[in-house]
Amino acid sequence: MEKLKLHNSDLTCWNCPAIDLAGKVDFRACGQSTKELAKISEDSDTYIMAECHRRPELGLFDPMGITFEECPEWQRTAYGYMLKDMRVMILGIDGYLGWTLALWLGKLGCNVSGVDNFSRRDWLKERGAHTVVPISRMTERLSAAKEVLDIDINFRQLDLMNDRERLKEFMDEIKPDAIVHYGECPSAPYSMIDAEHAIGVQKNNVLGTLGVLFSMRDIVPETSLIKLGTMGEYGTPLTGRPLFEGMFPADAVLTWDNREWSLGGELTPRDPVSFYHVSKVQDTYNIVEACKYWWLRSYDVMQGVIFGVYTEQVSADPRLRTRLDIDEWFGTVINRFVAQAVIGLPLTLYGAGEQIRGFIALEDAMQCMTRLIASPPEPGQYAVVNQMSGYYSLRELAETVAKIGKSEFNLPVKIQRLENPRVESERHPFEPIYENLPKRYGFKPQVSLEEEIYRMLKLLTQPKIKTRIEEKRHHIVPKTWWSGEKRQVETIEILPSGSQVETEEEKDEAYGR
Amino acid sequence: MRTIIIGLDGVPYGVIKNLTDTGVMKNLSHVIEDGVFRQMASSIPEISSIAWSSIITGKNPGEHGIFGFMDLAPGTYRLFFPNFFNLKAAPFWNTDSSKKSIIINVPSTYPARELNGVLISGFVALNINKAVYPPALIPKLTEMEYQIDVDSNKAHKSMDLFLNDLDKTLKSRIKAYHYLWNSQEWDTFMLVFTGTDRLFHFLWDAYENTTHKYHETVLDHFRQIDEAIGEIVDSIDDNDTLLFLSDHGFEELNVEVNINFYLKKNGFLALKNGKEENFVNIDSSTKAFALDPSRIYVNLEGKYPAGSVKPEDKERVIEDLVSLFELLEIDGRKVVKKIFRCEEIYYGPYLDYAPDLVLLSNKGLNLRANIKAKQLFDEGIFTGKHSQEDAFLVVKGRYNDDIVPEMPTVADIVAIKNKLN
Repeated sequence: MEKLKLHNSDLTCWNCPAIDLAGKVDFRACGQSTKELAKISEDSDTYIMAECHRRPELGLFDPMGITFEECPEWQRTAYGYMLKDMRVMILGIDGYLGWTLALWLGKLGCNVSGVDNFSRRDWLKERGAHTVVPISRMTERLSAAKEVLDIDINFRQLDLMNDRERLKEFMDEIKPDAIVHYGECPSAPYSMIDAEHAIGVQKNNVLGTLGVLFSMRDIVPETSLIKLGTMGEYGTPLTGRPLFEGMFPADAVLTWDNREWSLGGELTPRDPVSFYHVSKVQDTYNIVEACKYWWLRSYDVMQGVIFGVYTEQVSADPRLRTRLDIDEWFGTVINRFVAQAVIGLPLTLYGAGEQIRGFIALEDAMQCMTRLIASPPEPGQYAVVNQMSGYYSLRELAETVAKIGKSEFNLPVKIQRLENPRVESERHPFEPIYENLPKRYGFKPQVSLEEEIYRMLKLLTQPKIKTRIEEKRHHIVPKTWWSGEKRQVETIEILPSGSQVETEEEKDEAYGR
Repeated sequence: MRTIIIGLDGVPYGVIKNLTDTGVMKNLSHVIEDGVFRQMASSIPEISSIAWSSIITGKNPGEHGIFGFMDLAPGTYRLFFPNFFNLKAAPFWNTDSSKKSIIINVPSTYPARELNGVLISGFVALNINKAVYPPALIPKLTEMEYQIDVDSNKAHKSMDLFLNDLDKTLKSRIKAYHYLWNSQEWDTFMLVFTGTDRLFHFLWDAYENTTHKYHETVLDHFRQIDEAIGEIVDSIDDNDTLLFLSDHGFEELNVEVNINFYLKKNGFLALKNGKEENFVNIDSSTKAFALDPSRIYVNLEGKYPAGSVKPEDKERVIEDLVSLFELLEIDGRKVVKKIFRCEEIYYGPYLDYAPDLVLLSNKGLNLRANIKAKQLFDEGIFTGKHSQEDAFLVVKGRYNDDIVPEMPTVADIVAIKNKLN
């Protein structure tokens, strides 16, 4: 019986990080060139030659000739074919996503390494906040990973900004097949506190990533870079223009002055909504250029707002838990709502509360990342995926948290509207395109919004965690204004529970979908 | 007593005759005056990797296993590029390990393998770190800015860029040969100049046409080589054996003929619908396909993944192919001069990997097996192509036909060398 095709069955060595592109040969002229290696010539008589460091016996060969399905080094998994003992380096491995992914990949048989300078822990400390789910020190995390899950993680403490030489040494030592870049400051409000913070975030994110790109050029140019961007790069254009996946589709056309131009393949306009989001946009351009100049290959992952606490691995032992922040700077919205529900604080909507965002649960984000790691882009390819599993208005989300809180945990949850400290559209059309992951990479969301909210409530209602939320309740309601004002936002109204949930038709109309 | 072999890749008998007669290669002409000068047959097909593999092993492709620059991995349609590890017969420097050899730039000796002496691989040799034995020599070569081959990509950008790089490559090669000639003890010294072949691919017209902008540049390249030849001749003694040779000849290229296109058009070759045009997507309705430059393979059942020709039908398909290619014409002129069947030209243990037919084209016509070709005839960017019958051989000293046959082939060189010793 023929094997069921996986999303990456037909990819070839051309995409595989285990090959070195050795050079180009034109046998008509007995000519060789070791420059411009990765560029597929329009001249079809020119052959790109590859060598495989896993299978040196293949000698020089045409990298288009062997598919992942055929290669014994790629093995079937639930997430597509994966390279045996694939070496994945995670930048920012101590973070919310980094640690979760490290365990997830380790359990899949990947050879996981990672770096971190613990700045996320420092930023929280600086703001007087803390993760409400307690997390262990890195040494304890590593030994628990070994003890509980039998995973060896090769960790190096270093700063992407200031330890570039050590990063290069580490890259050279590991020779990763893929690098997942989570090593950035992920907070819009943190970047809006003052000049110091805006500069810090942009430096850390933009220059840190630029250094990573140069290091990859010098040490591991064949390695694929899976870099975390954000759906927030696109903003929410009031024209209702769809939020394409990074680039305009092939049939997009610009019409002006009775003339037409194809926009296919051009980057779509970005409309970032904070200095943090600007740093992500700048990253996008830097990565595009690096792929263009040096034939690096990258996925820019425009992730929707992340939420959740659950994967099988982080739940396996208290020492393996990943962090969960609920403060105004680092707490993402659903995580914050759940924490508010647990301690009886009304869930806080900013302004109208009709802002619409794309979302993805932690476990589904891990699935997406794994699928991308398993499908390295081609040399020189810059590709974008919009990583989300659905989209909701914030009011809708608050209602859902309230509903589950009441029905399953008997929590008296209220919802309140606050002044909006941000500069953003509070009512806007929203049509995100998020087809790449399901269509090209086989992503199927496994976690429903309700299920993950339930899991979160279950964890956060534990007395020890509830106490930790209580301790930082004063950091949930925002004080960071985009305008620079320094004052706590005030309540506009407390909403009568359940009254604002729209019908599906009303939602469709409101979202322009 | 030492042996020195100097190769000039792709230089035809006629060019040597002309350049020695006209004084461009004075030093070589002195050797010829007092030596043997022969026209030599190349391999079939006339491809450097096959011809040089025969030159260094004394074997035919059925014995050394190299049938082209590219081949299909056994049991697949996957292209691979045979290298030195795929050479099944021993090169002469490995047959007597008591003799120390210096081997520089012999094509198809990549990656470098251990020997008693030094080896620097020639084309295709993409990574200097794998091209040198012993590796301890690499820093010295790097210091000399040694370049394995000209970057042929440059010729597509600018002929001046290409020629500069070609000249740089030649000078670095001469520097390396000087160093090894003088710093090492050796019994055999083999040095191949490959820039000649590259030059002729792009500028054969400049060689032929004395008013061409680059005519003098082409001659200068040969003058530099002749200067090196002069140094070599001056520094050997009468007991030493000295050979000059090429692996194939060269001639004007007018039209490229895409034989896979011809096979497709005539229903012999089909690729799977909607898939990339690559050999891996050959459809089971295929009866035959071609690999560069002019090797035809019957798509035999059991031999290939989509093989469909039953063994009992193979002979009929071969006959059909012969008739088909006999009919191929351009402007009323036959394209194919001769069609060889495998058993006529190859013998040895590796016949399973041999093509079933090899075509030899008429003058000026270059056969290509590009599977993506969209038309039968192409006017290429190259002005010269290999030719089969007119490589050359020069042996210093006078010898009779028993030692140097009147019509040698590339597979005779090892025997000639042994007899001279």
